[in-house]
Amino acid sequence: MDFNLSEEQEALQEMARGFLSERWPAERVRELLDARPVLIDDDVWKEIVEMGWLGVAASEEAGGIGGDVMTAAVLCQEAGRGVLPGPFQSSLVAAIAIERSGDKDLCSGLLPGLIEGKRRVSVAIEEPGGLYGPDAVRTEARAAGEDWLLTGNKILVPEGNEAEHLLVAARTPDGLGLVRVAADAEGATTTRMDRMDGQSCAALVFEDAKAEAGALLGGADRGEALLREVYDIWTALVAADLLGSAEASLELTRSYATERVQFGRPIGSFQAVSHRLADTLVDVEIGRSLLYGACLALDEGRDNAAPLVSAAKAWLSETAVAAAEAALQIHGGVGFTWEYDVHLHLRRSRCNAALLGDADHHRDRVAAYMEQSWVPLVKA
Amino acid sequence: MDLRFSAEDEAYRQRLRDWLKENLGAATGAGGSANAAMKRAEEGSGGKSDPLAGARAWPRKLQEAGYVGLAWPKKYGGQEASFTQQVICADEMARARTPPLINTIGLSIIGPTLVQHGTEEQKQRFLPRILRADDLWCQGFSEPEAGSDLASLRCRAELDGDEFVVNGQKVWTSLAFLSDWMFLLVRTDPDAPKREGISYLLLDMKTPGITVRPLRNAAGGQHFSEVFLDGVRIPRENLVGELNGGWSIARSSLDHERSGLSGVVALEETLGRLWRMAGKVQRGDAEALGDQATSRALAQHWIEIEGLRHLGYRTLSDQIAGKPPGAGASVGKLFASELRQEMTRTALRVEGPLGPVAKRSPHVVDRGRWHAAYFDALAHSIGGGTSEIMRNVIAEKVLGLPHAKDD
Ligand SMILES: Cc1cc2nc3c(=O)[nH]c(=O)nc-3n(C[C@H](O)[C@H](O)[C@H](O)COP(=O)(O)OP(=O)(O)OC[C@H]3O[C@@H](n4cnc5c(N)ncnc54)[C@H](O)[C@@H]3O)c2cc1C
Repeated sequence: MDFNLSEEQEALQEMARGFLSERWPAERVRELLDARPVLIDDDVWKEIVEMGWLGVAASEEAGGIGGDVMTAAVLCQEAGRGVLPGPFQSSLVAAIAIERSGDKDLCSGLLPGLIEGKRRVSVAIEEPGGLYGPDAVRTEARAAGEDWLLTGNKILVPEGNEAEHLLVAARTPDGLGLVRVAADAEGATTTRMDRMDGQSCAALVFEDAKAEAGALLGGADRGEALLREVYDIWTALVAADLLGSAEASLELTRSYATERVQFGRPIGSFQAVSHRLADTLVDVEIGRSLLYGACLALDEGRDNAAPLVSAAKAWLSETAVAAAEAALQIHGGVGFTWEYDVHLHLRRSRCNAALLGDADHHRDRVAAYMEQSWVPLVKA
Repeated sequence: MDLRFSAEDEAYRQRLRDWLKENLGAATGAGGSANAAMKRAEEGSGGKSDPLAGARAWPRKLQEAGYVGLAWPKKYGGQEASFTQQVICADEMARARTPPLINTIGLSIIGPTLVQHGTEEQKQRFLPRILRADDLWCQGFSEPEAGSDLASLRCRAELDGDEFVVNGQKVWTSLAFLSDWMFLLVRTDPDAPKREGISYLLLDMKTPGITVRPLRNAAGGQHFSEVFLDGVRIPRENLVGELNGGWSIARSSLDHERSGLSGVVALEETLGRLWRMAGKVQRGDAEALGDQATSRALAQHWIEIEGLRHLGYRTLSDQIAGKPPGAGASVGKLFASELRQEMTRTALRVEGPLGPVAKRSPHVVDRGRWHAAYFDALAHSIGGGTSEIMRNVIAEKVLGLPHAKDD
């Protein structure tokens, strides 16, 4: 029994935190927010690639460092804390999807290029229609001879404009799956979408867009399971990012409440302030516990991995937004200025709270699991 | 990261399971449960020589088999078991729904305090009797003028030769009317700063000068009492720790909390019951569970329980690694007591218009169990440190925010 980060994971966390605070100042995000889109600068991206972050969850054969989902989550948490934009997370998720597909050609061709930062791949799951997740996917992939023809709409595809390939969630005759399409395929149109936090994302339209034979990752047998697995892992990584945001908001506010004096006392000595922060701390610690539980369940392939991922995502979606709102309120006037970092965390957590399913969507997933698998096991 | 227990620990779990299977039936049958016995004792019925005989049988059985006093030294009847085995034991007891223990206050508060701070004589004299439920204990900390601000307590003790003479009042003393002994805080130096004039004493409840007056609680039961102390004499050997050194010992009494894992199984079962109830309660032409607000509220409780469970795993891992408990213990206490309340509120909401119907009525939903659970849960954010005080502790000790008031 050891339910804490390993020494290696702690060292990685410390290293990432140090790197980001030095090389990725919040000031840079503020500048990019005006310029849009907010993307990692090339020189910083190069260093991130060299440190092997994109291959953190990939095997050593593929050029990765053989870590697990928990280790990838450690980096995503630091990315959230340090407001690091894409294409870090989307590349990480694409690498995980490709490697888990077991496709030999992709694993020896596209994957090493992706991990070395030379190729860009993104994952497209969400669609218009107001629903979330794989079950809401309506995009269709029809077989046309050897090839696939893809028709449908995708939204909020991270760095979809910058990607060379897209892994698109679609319905095939054999069930759901991820179909790999070239971004410049005939019949594929990419337009820029804009998010509150300025990060790059795209809306995609496919009208009989052509994908080559073998483009369905994992093939007909494993395609749907792979899509669901990738969705769960990605959701856990977004939850990790949210945890990082929540921690950052809490720390900013903790130190401000210690220094700012009104009525002759630090404002942190007023219980309306200190109790709100104590509640935030409780929520952050519960969220961290859920995230660790979700990652471990994914890494061990346990039956309750999906509901634990949803638990972490639902909880942290609300916690991170609440922590950022508390930060804004407790900072008073300066909290509402462009110059303070509070709004950066608020923007990012608002975006991530809705990405891949909001809290209600994930509560519904938990309720479905409870009904099917949990209730029958609990004593009456 | 690894959530598995060692083969040795799993073997321990299996032995305990087998033992429970064999021995539990006898304990729950024949009116032997602590609750039933306490009720009889409260009512003064029975006329037997020991109305609690039935309730003492189960803890004695546990003691004989080595399933109480897990953390205590073997020398005093304890087991010197690992943290992991302590957690496994609490877990399995909850899973098997073992009856509540009548000597819980002794096992979980004064026992560990004596292990840490007692004299050799005190340990030998009291610890084995606590384990066997020979002595039942109550906690005499709170006073009418000293609740959250416990250090302002006034109950006075003066040394007269080899004895303390105690005058004052305690209140909210749980189970005082059943107890053989009380551990209490008294003021031994009225001139010292308030935390430096407090001593920790052990009092035989048969001593002359004690009046116990049971108080009826909001739920209608008799659980706690007022205790008046009038010229009560306590031998000096019943002082725990140094004279005027009681405050820090009291703090450690309040800190004898578990990692929080032990409550999770019970919460889980409560949620299971709540789900089944929601599946039966009518809501228009369907059942309550069919409405999204209800299923989401129950899912949220599942999420919260898993959060508490995994927080407990983290605390346990720290304990095993010999690290200080960190934020886990206070966070767990606050979160668990609020969660319990929230779950009972959800239950009453799910019951809908019939929610308020009393237990006696034939129209009652789910045998009225949620009313009792609701009242019980409300007390949990008051006893043992109110939720507001827990937030103060987290703000100051964990977040390092400035103290609310300089005193
Ligand atoms: C069921 C039950 C069993 C109990 N059993 C025992 C027992 O066996 N032995 C024993 O000694 N005691 C026992 N108690 C007493 C319990 O420890 C006290 O009730 C508790 O410490 C609060 O003290 P109080 O009742 O005087 O409330 P107060 O301290 O007067 O508090 C009243 C309200 O003010 C708030 N408040 C007080 N100070 C602050 C502050 N600094 N900041 C913010 N808010 C504050 C509190 O949170 C509370 O909401 C029991 C209580 C209950 C309900």
